[in-house]
Amino acid sequence: MEVCRVEIILDGVTYSRGSFSLQATGRFTRGLHLISGPVGSGKSTLSQLIVGLLPPQQGTVCLPENARSTLSFQFPEHHITGWTVGEEIESWGHNKEAICSEDERIPPLQTAVSDLSRGEMKRLHLACLLAKDWDVIILDEPFASLDCREKTRLCRRLESLQETAIVLIFTHEQVHLPRVSYLWEMDGGILSCCGPVPEGISSWHNPPVHIREALSRQVLPKNITVNDTLEALCRIPD
Amino acid sequence: MITITYLQHTVLDIPSLSIPKGQTAVIGPNGAGKSTLLRLIAGLVLPESGNISIDDTNPRTCTIGYVNEFPERNVVFTRVFDEIASPLRFLFYPCAKTDERVRNIAAQTGIAHLLKRRISDLSGGEMVLVALATALVAGPEVLVLDEVDSHTDPKTTDALNALLRSSGVPYCIRSTQQMDVAAQADQVIMLENGRVTDSGAPEAVFAGRGTTCFYPVSWRFAAWK
Repeated sequence: MEVCRVEIILDGVTYSRGSFSLQATGRFTRGLHLISGPVGSGKSTLSQLIVGLLPPQQGTVCLPENARSTLSFQFPEHHITGWTVGEEIESWGHNKEAICSEDERIPPLQTAVSDLSRGEMKRLHLACLLAKDWDVIILDEPFASLDCREKTRLCRRLESLQETAIVLIFTHEQVHLPRVSYLWEMDGGILSCCGPVPEGISSWHNPPVHIREALSRQVLPKNITVNDTLEALCRIPD
Repeated sequence: MITITYLQHTVLDIPSLSIPKGQTAVIGPNGAGKSTLLRLIAGLVLPESGNISIDDTNPRTCTIGYVNEFPERNVVFTRVFDEIASPLRFLFYPCAKTDERVRNIAAQTGIAHLLKRRISDLSGGEMVLVALATALVAGPEVLVLDEVDSHTDPKTTDALNALLRSSGVPYCIRSTQQMDVAAQADQVIMLENGRVTDSGAPEAVFAGRGTTCFYPVSWRFAAWK
């Protein structure tokens, strides 16, 4: 893997497995990037290529020099190394009480991690991951299994990283979305850039229903959240 | 009718709950007890106290299709075809009939192209669809689905909803974090801290939740129109 200054660069990256093949070219600068796409379109594969868990068959992946980078897997159980909630928090090098005070809904410290629901496990994992400082954060389906309150909280937390990190969010989520800088799509293994927000919203091939509703009325929201869309739909024309 | 009386089990405390035939959505915050309730209805665990019956019989005597919120935990075989065929093979179905039903259900769930694939090579969304096909293949009386839509894209979710509607399964009970999916069910059960705080038609359950995130976004836009 090569290094570059302050962005992730994918240059002619290809990867094949059986009948599936992936092609990706693009630059990811600081800010939040939303990458959407259907089941099996290659989102998880691309996330693993970017962090070096899979080697590209052609092309190069370039990460910022000395970047502190991390990947959050779609399934939180793949990250678990502790038997209990407390051990899991400590395995990240965190203070247990500090993490629990940040999120009061984290289950009791002595709870066995295997007894948590997937949503609870996801919340615990994300709380631990986001309590560290990162330059590059790749999140594979971060909203999956979370309840709507937690999704909303996660959106605010991710928005707070806008100025300090390159954050790639691979997701199917349609309702609870953060304000993002760029929109991308994966389809049939091919990565394409819709553009910066808000301009890129009109190039989004498969937007969420609320965005589609706005676009059908020739209204362009300032960003991709439901509130942005409602605000845009209610805006009085100049 | 699925009837639950005086149920106490880990976090759950449900004095009385009736679930009629049709599509039922179970909603609520993480840790509310949704998965626990679904496992009890599926007969995977027995209640510490209280009773659950499905049309006056024990859940363990019914044919039940179940998809775990961790679908890979229930996988037995390494190849997709074998996994989907397994409920029929365990019932000693004839090979030709098994083959036909597996291909039929795979086509309905949109995964015919995956039949020869190894389970370990599937994406999360594909894994859920394989688990769903496996749950449906034996024609269950009750289908219990634990957040199957957490890992599917909108188009797949819509196709799933249509499939479940047309499947003819008498009872389909699913937990979901997508309120727009819950809004399409025949009845909704809201669980909070192990207790049923609301149950009934979607319009009734969501009526008092307009200012919370537990409200279907599609309804907000419908109201705006």
